[in-house]
Amino acid sequence: MGESQSAGTHVSTGEQGWITGTLVLFCLASTIVTIVAGFVQVSFGAYSMTVLEAWQAVTDTDVVFDLEAWSAFLMGTERPEMSTNSIVVWEIRLPRVFVGIIAGTTLAISGAIFQAVTRNELASPFVLGVSSGAGFAVLATLVVFSGLTPFLPLIAALGGAIAFLIVYGIAWKGGTSPVRLVLAGVVVSMVFQSLQQGLFFFADDLGVVQTAIAWLTGSLTGTGWSEVRIATLPATVAVAVALAGARQLNVLLLGEQTAQSLGMRVERVRFLLSGVAILAASAAISVAGIVSFFGLVVPHIVRNVVGGDYRQLMIGCLFAGPALMVTADVGARLALGGTQIPVGVVTGLIGGPYFLYLMRKQRSMGEL
Amino acid sequence: MARPTTNDTNADASPRNGGTDTETNRNTDSVDVGTAPDDTVRSALVGDELELSYPSSDETVVDCARLDVPEEEITALVGPNGSGKSTVLKALSKHLEPDSGVVRLRGEDIRSFDRPELARELGLLSQENDSVGGITVEDLVYHGRYPHRGFFDSISSEDREAVDRSLELAGVGHLRDAELGQLSGGQKQLAWIAMVLAQDTDVLLLDEPTTFLDLHHQFRVLETIRQLNEEKGVTVAVVLHDISQAARFADYLIAMHDGGLYDWGPPEEIVTEQLLADVFDVEASVRYEPELQVLPKRALPNDQS
Repeated sequence: MGESQSAGTHVSTGEQGWITGTLVLFCLASTIVTIVAGFVQVSFGAYSMTVLEAWQAVTDTDVVFDLEAWSAFLMGTERPEMSTNSIVVWEIRLPRVFVGIIAGTTLAISGAIFQAVTRNELASPFVLGVSSGAGFAVLATLVVFSGLTPFLPLIAALGGAIAFLIVYGIAWKGGTSPVRLVLAGVVVSMVFQSLQQGLFFFADDLGVVQTAIAWLTGSLTGTGWSEVRIATLPATVAVAVALAGARQLNVLLLGEQTAQSLGMRVERVRFLLSGVAILAASAAISVAGIVSFFGLVVPHIVRNVVGGDYRQLMIGCLFAGPALMVTADVGARLALGGTQIPVGVVTGLIGGPYFLYLMRKQRSMGEL
Repeated sequence: MARPTTNDTNADASPRNGGTDTETNRNTDSVDVGTAPDDTVRSALVGDELELSYPSSDETVVDCARLDVPEEEITALVGPNGSGKSTVLKALSKHLEPDSGVVRLRGEDIRSFDRPELARELGLLSQENDSVGGITVEDLVYHGRYPHRGFFDSISSEDREAVDRSLELAGVGHLRDAELGQLSGGQKQLAWIAMVLAQDTDVLLLDEPTTFLDLHHQFRVLETIRQLNEEKGVTVAVVLHDISQAARFADYLIAMHDGGLYDWGPPEEIVTEQLLADVFDVEASVRYEPELQVLPKRALPNDQS
């Protein structure tokens, strides 16, 4: 067996060895894709300008280095005077790209966390009831409590959190198990979806129905700096905790018993990390609605490329999420010329088949 | 019929005669093992009046007046399937809350330890380890350092040394960069053992570490355990499936039967043809010279139990 041949020469990389060339390359490629897609998004659209003009507007030093402009963007104060091109780029098109970046990051990270916490590769915010709970809350607000519409993002987050608590409560029996969590999640999702469908009957205004559908399929249409302002803080917190918790997720993946005998307070860690995943998903849902398949598929793509170590996976999701979301939104906004479709339709149409392809390729996937 | 700890037969019998040098050394050190263990043998782990059941059912699985795991010795739990060996191990490692009774680790109630504290004192390798494919052996072994690291701590040189040492001891140093999913069952088991070793605990509980392994790897695992015990004085409690293996390997045996303790003591004293008939329902011949040997012959009709 050649016991000791490598023992002497081996350079102990320890845990630092996880930053691999593949990971760096993957992140670099993702960044480039994000920038290119973002630039396409900024350049094209109903208000036409040349690529050069768009570039000039993006790099317009009057805006980029203007503190007043940034305070207008990020704090919502009065916007200073600027050229029409700059207004179109900085007020309409760029913030949409930023919202895409935030939603992509948070959904990818949320999915990755849920997949580790439940030790199930089919887990996502959708499967665990978060999305349908949030969707129901949104619909109820639009149809029944229309006075609360300004607080829609908050309400969406609240709905998601409540649905997950219900799921956790049902699955809890002196502790939870991944299988029970997923089963409870599926059932709770179905109940909330029935409620959603029921609510549609009470909508008397076609406009309300359309707004509702845009929420339920996930759309970045019309998002601006106010959405960026809403989502940035929760997204940053969620990403920071997720990155810090990567090692915990790795240990959780060893199985509950092992994690426990290694000294982890499993239930507590699982609940806290789930909370982070809900926070992340809610941040995305509150600005973009329920973008289907995204939280499920992106972690898989990253896992396929960089490997299953969560320290790598989290970093990968951090870069791949924005790249894919911004690209999908380019398709949603520009593919059909005049009409914009919700980005959730694009992710569903591409993500679904891709996921099926993965399932056929990897035999081991989908085992509960 | 379950005799608690005290083993009053064969007061002059010496503990097992393994034949190695360290073995004989130990024989002269430890006195009167055969008499009352409570007085002369310090117990690392004690289960007192344990009644155990699983949350999913009301049925009591284990009911056992007293159970000792002597300090710095290797204790093997033996018994037929369903006799409660694994359940006992779960209770001893605080994975299962007893319905009544206490588990004491060096005299202290195990409930007074929080999880990380306990994980620095006591390691457990479960019977079924969930399949994790995509990580390297080295990564797995680093996870053994979990209880020694805070949430934000990076790895210390101490961690690194512990990992290197464990990989070496378990004999998987040459596999450190191999992915777990590509290893054979035996290699995988050794990798998991290396992980528990990296945990660096004074007490080690192992649930059937040799089951499903070929003979070569069975011996590798047992030799690793023996080495750990001899060199670092680690207390080991191990569930073994094979009574003849257990009888040759362990310093003490705990024979479980029907959720109770059938007998307890050094193998030479407690392994008898009667025990094999009562506990395992097999007819067997036991030879004590030149060394303890159990030769199972045939199954006894089931109505014996």
